[in-house]
Amino acid sequence: MADFSAQSYRQPFPFLDIDPTMESLTQFAELNPQSFILDNSAFNFQTFFPLSVNDSLFSNQASQGETMSGFIHNSNQSSVSAQPIFSAKTEVEEISNKRKALDILESSSGNSSSSSPPVSETGIKRRNNSGRGKRAKSNEKEMEKPKEVVHVRARRGQATDSHSLAERVRRGKINERLRCLQDIVPGCYKTMGMALMLDEIINYVQSLQNQVEFLSMKLTAASTYYDFNSESDAMERMQREKAEEAKELERLMREGYVGIGGVACFHSSSTYGPL
Amino acid sequence: MNNPHHLNPTSLKSRFTTRFLRALTKIRAQKPISSSSPTEIFRRYRRIKVAADKSMAYSVRSRRIWSRAMLWKLRSRSYRRQDPCSGRRSGKTNQAIMKKSSNENTTTRREDGVGFVEEADELRQLVPGGETMNLCNLLDETAHYIKCLTTQVQEMKKIADFYSF
Repeated sequence: MADFSAQSYRQPFPFLDIDPTMESLTQFAELNPQSFILDNSAFNFQTFFPLSVNDSLFSNQASQGETMSGFIHNSNQSSVSAQPIFSAKTEVEEISNKRKALDILESSSGNSSSSSPPVSETGIKRRNNSGRGKRAKSNEKEMEKPKEVVHVRARRGQATDSHSLAERVRRGKINERLRCLQDIVPGCYKTMGMALMLDEIINYVQSLQNQVEFLSMKLTAASTYYDFNSESDAMERMQREKAEEAKELERLMREGYVGIGGVACFHSSSTYGPL
Repeated sequence: MNNPHHLNPTSLKSRFTTRFLRALTKIRAQKPISSSSPTEIFRRYRRIKVAADKSMAYSVRSRRIWSRAMLWKLRSRSYRRQDPCSGRRSGKTNQAIMKKSSNENTTTRREDGVGFVEEADELRQLVPGGETMNLCNLLDETAHYIKCLTTQVQEMKKIADFYSF
């Protein structure tokens, strides 16, 4: 059920929605920090927002991600309850409300460290155990914020330190780009591994470059043929070439490939015509 | 002029085509072939190929790493041909810049933690300017490069068909 809510919560979650969501969260948390921590419903709140917790945990530019994960490590996941949401707020509205958020963070850390460990620790542990034991997965999701901050959630059973996070983000990007390339390059099957796909891509690029060379040689041959078989009069040859270019441009324009630029060329070259 | 198919007049295809056609006519106007010696033909072939690459790189401007690398390569080659001294100078400064950037990016063996080093290196040799890119950017640039190459091939095919009936 928690996952359902997580799922439904995840759906309308473009990066633009973060601010109002987080704001409402933080407002809610601000109203009753103490009761929020001690209340049992807080744990439902926790499970209801596994996404936001982890989301804020791993929202990073690298430095911020590191501080945040270090922060979480220091707090030993015991006071995870209240802080990540505030840290999400710091992440999201850092420019405007940084000081305010930090104050809240510190106060909440003071509160939670004093009061929460006996209550929330077991709860958190239970949640974590349930997370690992059951198939409850906090899914991986990447979001791109305007400042290129990427939010990544940890998969179950995976390390959550900043380095492997960054690694995972990078691998995700690489996989995404490989998938794009797969669509472009013919002959790439999804079942192929990355190495095979890279080989296919290399072959394709090589074949394209060879095609360019071959076509330029063909053009050379065509132009030399024309030079040989045309009249020896230079002026007439120039005229012919201009006429050919004009014809070619006109044909291309007809096919819609050349627009305004081509029209200008056409006009300029047509002036050479009736010399 | 109304285009029935109405493709984008500032698209990559049209930009490349106009530039390449202009370069072609310039080449043919410059040097009418007097003899059919292989060197002459080869020289013209080189010129046409360079014109094709140049017009493609100019159509992309500096928006992509590979186009910038290709333009720099072409320019340094032309400088070297015109004036050996200036070519050396510009080549040195440019090489210093390239080496510096490559040192910043390629200090490690480019393991990248993904484990496709040989293929990635081979791809880096194919894509211009690929030595200074990490795998992520390399794949990005490869995709754009492939798209531009296919455009180039299509247009050159049309032109060649036109000229050889």
